[in-house]
Amino acid sequence: MKRPVRLEPGQKLVLTANRLLDGRTVWWCADGTWDLHIGRAALLDADEAEAVLARVVAEAQRDGVVGVYDTAVQAAVPPEPVTVREKIRAHGPTVHPEFAVETEQ
Amino acid sequence: MSIPVGHYQYDRIDRDFLQARIAEFEGQVQRRLDGTLSEDEFKPLRLMNGLYLQLHAYMLRVAIPYGILDSRQLRKLGEIARRYDRDYGHFTTRQNIQFNWIRLEDTPAILRELAEVDMHAIQTSGNCIRNVTADEYAGAAADELVDPRVHAEILRQWSTLHPEFTFLPRKFKIAISGSPNDRVAARFHDIGILARPGEDGAPVFRIFVGGGLGRTPVIGEELFDSVREEHLLATLEAILRVYNAHGRRDNIYKARIKILVQAIGVDAYREAVEAELVQMDLERYRLMPEAVAAIRSRFAVPLLEAPADADAVLAQQRRDDPLFDRWVRSNTHVHRDPGHIIATISLKPAGGIPGDATSAQIVRLADLADAYSFGEIRITHLQNVVLGHVRKDRLRDLWLGLAEVGLAEANIGLIGDIVACPGLDYCALANARSIPIAQKLGARFADTALQAEIGALRINISGCINACGHHHAGHIGLLGVDKRGEEFFQLTVGGRAENGAAIGTILGAALPEDETVDAIARLVDCYLGRRESGETFLDTLTRLGHEPFREAAYETV
Ligand code: HEM
Ligand code: SF4
Repeated sequence: MKRPVRLEPGQKLVLTANRLLDGRTVWWCADGTWDLHIGRAALLDADEAEAVLARVVAEAQRDGVVGVYDTAVQAAVPPEPVTVREKIRAHGPTVHPEFAVETEQ
Repeated sequence: MSIPVGHYQYDRIDRDFLQARIAEFEGQVQRRLDGTLSEDEFKPLRLMNGLYLQLHAYMLRVAIPYGILDSRQLRKLGEIARRYDRDYGHFTTRQNIQFNWIRLEDTPAILRELAEVDMHAIQTSGNCIRNVTADEYAGAAADELVDPRVHAEILRQWSTLHPEFTFLPRKFKIAISGSPNDRVAARFHDIGILARPGEDGAPVFRIFVGGGLGRTPVIGEELFDSVREEHLLATLEAILRVYNAHGRRDNIYKARIKILVQAIGVDAYREAVEAELVQMDLERYRLMPEAVAAIRSRFAVPLLEAPADADAVLAQQRRDDPLFDRWVRSNTHVHRDPGHIIATISLKPAGGIPGDATSAQIVRLADLADAYSFGEIRITHLQNVVLGHVRKDRLRDLWLGLAEVGLAEANIGLIGDIVACPGLDYCALANARSIPIAQKLGARFADTALQAEIGALRINISGCINACGHHHAGHIGLLGVDKRGEEFFQLTVGGRAENGAAIGTILGAALPEDETVDAIARLVDCYLGRRESGETFLDTLTRLGHEPFREAAYETV
């Protein structure tokens, strides 16, 4: 059973996963694609997230991603994850600034 | 092809098997990619081949049996890091190497490249007997009684693909040493083995069971004091059978052998093993001297020749160059041959990432091994690298060569020689980042003269309770905890993995990340201020107890 999501004011949910082919962290975009950059992620309200998540999980194999789940972000531009773990997934290992995801493509 | 110094020479059977295994895995990857296999079905298959999914990418863990490599293999690891990863690799506390940025689709090709040099990633994950670890000075140290590599190789052959032990209740780790100075943390392994010569000259084995770290740290207990060589495999087989039959499978946190040994007591465990031995076909497992000799013959013995004045040359060079002298003091160990010395190369540059090496450094290490140590390299369980047989009069040249690639740090066994797991920068299970705190501590104590002044002091850091960084066994241990999404560190003191193994005691409430380094600096100051002449950190801690250290750590400024 999924835990009920409780968001603080100013927070939204995003969907994230790892790419099957190379394991890279990706974020779900409103057009149904997956992107390395959290800045392109679709921001979801708590009440819609559950249904979207179920749909996206069902399409994970077709979309080439594994381990889809939702996580809370501050709804800024770009959105910033709430937990340290998701910040590190979004931006890359803090000990290798040269691998920062922001600098890719 | 000549036989490699240091590790066992594989043959046709080993190589055919590796190729078949890679072909099998390649088929599994194909079926995963085309959707025939679901992630749930595929995950255990990839883990059996050492492939994990971490936070940012797949991670491939490559086995280094008993931590020994030849230069050809090391060079290959460097090439893989360059070609398939982001130009570096991470050496682990289990004497393995991990690559952090691997693509699933590249994995079969990487495994083929590894197989070219007799390497693989099998049994580096999963509930099986993992890579057997051994003393990093095996076959070289003056204080060694029995060379553990021959029996480590016998254990490797026995445990590889052992059909009965492929689905144990949980992972199983074995370490073996042949020195009275425990350099393998024998009492923190599921089975720890200490070999020594018996009365008739053949080795006998002291066996500990049920040690481990993780969320329930336990010091292994002695099961047998003197197992004869011929009964070594039968005894291990019986220990594993008892565990396989009675270890818990209902709760992953209670599944290790240590929980079973704690639950029934070591005496009952011994009785169960003895009962198993009585009804086993002992002939089948008898380890005959000829079999041991045959294995031994597949290790080449280095021809240790040194000029008569090698020792004098080294002594003079040490007098002439204080920096070199400092490195020799901390980074070498006495070799059994008076003309040779063991050099430990630190992978802990001040402010760097413990255990990481760039492709260029890895390839250079292979070159230096060729030039100075019979092409042989060992990885230590403290995430460093050893060249086992260096001629004393050539040690300084080696040191100069190391300095060119930033590998001449003089800190082995000192406060800068920090052990740290990958932590939250990579690991999907982590609560906190281990590496940045290691880097800050490394930078804080960067001065190697200060490190020498502080003396023997090990810091171990784990990013979560799984304890991959051995924090319970650190003289000072740091455990990362998550408090509402923020990183905190719990401090322990007094752990040790060497002789007299002990689990560290928690000093108090976990500290916020940004206060942790200062707290440790105050701990160290407390020791420096109160130690008596000749005392190490552990000595002072034992004499004074924890209280002064607790006060120092939590003192608010
Ligand atoms: C993806 C990375 C890793 C994962 C998922 C992982 C997972 C785990 C888990 C779950 C445990 C606890 C086992 C138990 O108590 O039953 C553990 C223990 C351990 N791991 Fe790791 N680990 C990782 C990386 C490493 C690395 C990099 C090292 C070496 C630096 C390492 C060495 C160890 C050791 C020595 C232990 C403790 C000994 C023991 O009780 O087994 N692990 N690991
Ligand atoms: S101790 Fe925890 S954080 Fe560190 S590598 Fe092991 S599982 Fe990951």
